[in-house]
Amino acid sequence: MARMKFLCDVARCIDCSGCVIACKEGNHVPVGVNRRRVVTLNQGKPGEKSISVACMHCADAPCIAVCPVKSLYQREDGIVLVNKKTCIGCGYCFMACPFGAPQFPGSGVFGARGAMDKCTFCAGGPEVNFSDEEKNLYGQNRIAEGKVPLCAGMCATKALLAGDADVVADVYRERVFQRGSGVNAWGWDKAYKK
Amino acid sequence: MQRALASVSLLTFFLVAGFAGLVPAQEDQALAGLPTESSADYYQALMGVMTGNQQEYGGLFTTLQGQWFRRAFLVIVTAFPSLFVLHFMVIGAKRFNTGGQPVLFFPLFARVIHWVVAAGFSLLVFTGLMIVFGAFFGGGTLIRTARYMHLGSAAIMVVPAILMFLMWLKDMLPERHDLAWMGILGGYLSKAKRPVPAGKFNAGQKMYFWCASVGGGVMAVTGYFLWGMGAALDFVRLSAIIHNVLGIGLVALYLTHVYMSVFAVGGSLESMKTGFKSQEEVDILHSRYKY
Repeated sequence: MARMKFLCDVARCIDCSGCVIACKEGNHVPVGVNRRRVVTLNQGKPGEKSISVACMHCADAPCIAVCPVKSLYQREDGIVLVNKKTCIGCGYCFMACPFGAPQFPGSGVFGARGAMDKCTFCAGGPEVNFSDEEKNLYGQNRIAEGKVPLCAGMCATKALLAGDADVVADVYRERVFQRGSGVNAWGWDKAYKK
Repeated sequence: MQRALASVSLLTFFLVAGFAGLVPAQEDQALAGLPTESSADYYQALMGVMTGNQQEYGGLFTTLQGQWFRRAFLVIVTAFPSLFVLHFMVIGAKRFNTGGQPVLFFPLFARVIHWVVAAGFSLLVFTGLMIVFGAFFGGGTLIRTARYMHLGSAAIMVVPAILMFLMWLKDMLPERHDLAWMGILGGYLSKAKRPVPAGKFNAGQKMYFWCASVGGGVMAVTGYFLWGMGAALDFVRLSAIIHNVLGIGLVALYLTHVYMSVFAVGGSLESMKTGFKSQEEVDILHSRYKY
C-alpha cells in the first residue's frame, strides 16, 4: 500500500504562502485555524530558508496516542484523520503534537473549544466520500479523486511535494543529484566559491 | 491564606513563562549554527530546533497520557471499591448506641457548605472519569457535555470550597496524637470499639481535608490552564500531567471518604444531615474532643 508523505524542498521554497492560501480557500478552513503555515528562518540574513509545515501524518502519531476518545485514526496509506463528531475539544492532541498541527476554531460557551481541525492531506474524513457532510466538516477529498493535495498542487516552485513516499523520495533525490548537495541556493558555490 | 496561595501560583507562573520566553532567543542562535554540508544533517538539526520543546514535556506527556493515566485510573476505580467491599465483609461498619446526650458537630452553615462542595466535587470526579474513559463511552456529544460540565462544576465550587477551607482550617491543623491515629489506622482494622486518639477531626479526615483543599486548588489552577491554554505550551503540558496525577490521588481519597462516611462509620451520614453525633461515637472515635 502506498504511504502518503509531505516533503518541502527547503532549497526551493520562496515563502510565497501559496500553499497556505490554497488550503485555506479550497477547504473553507474556519477563521483562526491555519492548517498549513510557512516558517521562515534567518529572515533577511544569508542562509534564509523557508519551510511549509502542516500535519506531518506521523507514522507513530502522538496525537492518536493521547486522544481520550479515540477520535483520531490512521488510514492504511498513513494519512492521519480526525472524526470531528467524536472529538470533544480537550486539546490533548495539540499538546502532544510537536508541530502544532491540531487547531481549534472559534470558541463556544466560556471559551470552550469546538472540535479539532487539522490538515487532512485533502483526504476528507470518515464520512462518505464526496458527500456534503464531508465537505462541510473536513473540506475537499482530492485523494479519493486521485489528485494531490491543494497545497502541493498549487506550489509555485514545486517545493512542496506530496504523495506516495517512494515517488516523492525519487523526485527529491533526482533534484539533489542535479543541483549538488548542500542547502545553499544552487550556484552559490560556483559564484562565491562557498 | 488564599492571597499567599495566589501570589505563590502567580510567581511560579511568571517564573515558568520567563524561562519559556528565553527559548526563541536560544532558537535563533541554534539556527545560525545549523550544518550546511548535507541536506540530511540540515533537516535533522532543523527538526531538533523546531520541535525542541517536544523533548521537554511533550514526550513525557504523550507517554503518560497515551497509556499510563488510563491504566492508573482503572486500577483506582476497581481496586478501591473492591478493597472496601472486602473491608465491609470482614470487619463491617462501626455502630454506636444512640443513648446519652447528642453532641453538636456541624452547625447549619457547615452542613450547607459541605453538601454544596460535595455536589460539586462529586460532579467533578464523575465527569473527570467520563473524560478519562471517553473512548469506552464512544466520545462525541456525551463526553463533550461532560467536559463542559467539568468546567461548570469547578466554577460553581470555587467559592464554597474556599469558605469550607477557612471554616475548618483551625480544627484540621495537625497535632501530636495524629501520628498515633495513623499507627492504628484509626482502629478501623478491628471490630473492637476502643477510644482512638483524635480531636474534632481525626488524622484521616485531616489528610483528606488538606489533600482535597490544597490539591483541589492545584487542580483548579492547572485545570484553568488546560481549559484556556493561557500559557506557554510546555507549561500547559506540565499542567496536564499534574492535573492527571493529582486527579488519580483525589479520586482515590474521594472514594475512601464516601465509603468511610456512608458505610463504614454508622451515624456519620446522619451527623452531616442533622449536625449531631451520638455521645458514644464521640467518646470512641473523637476521644480527645472536649464537648
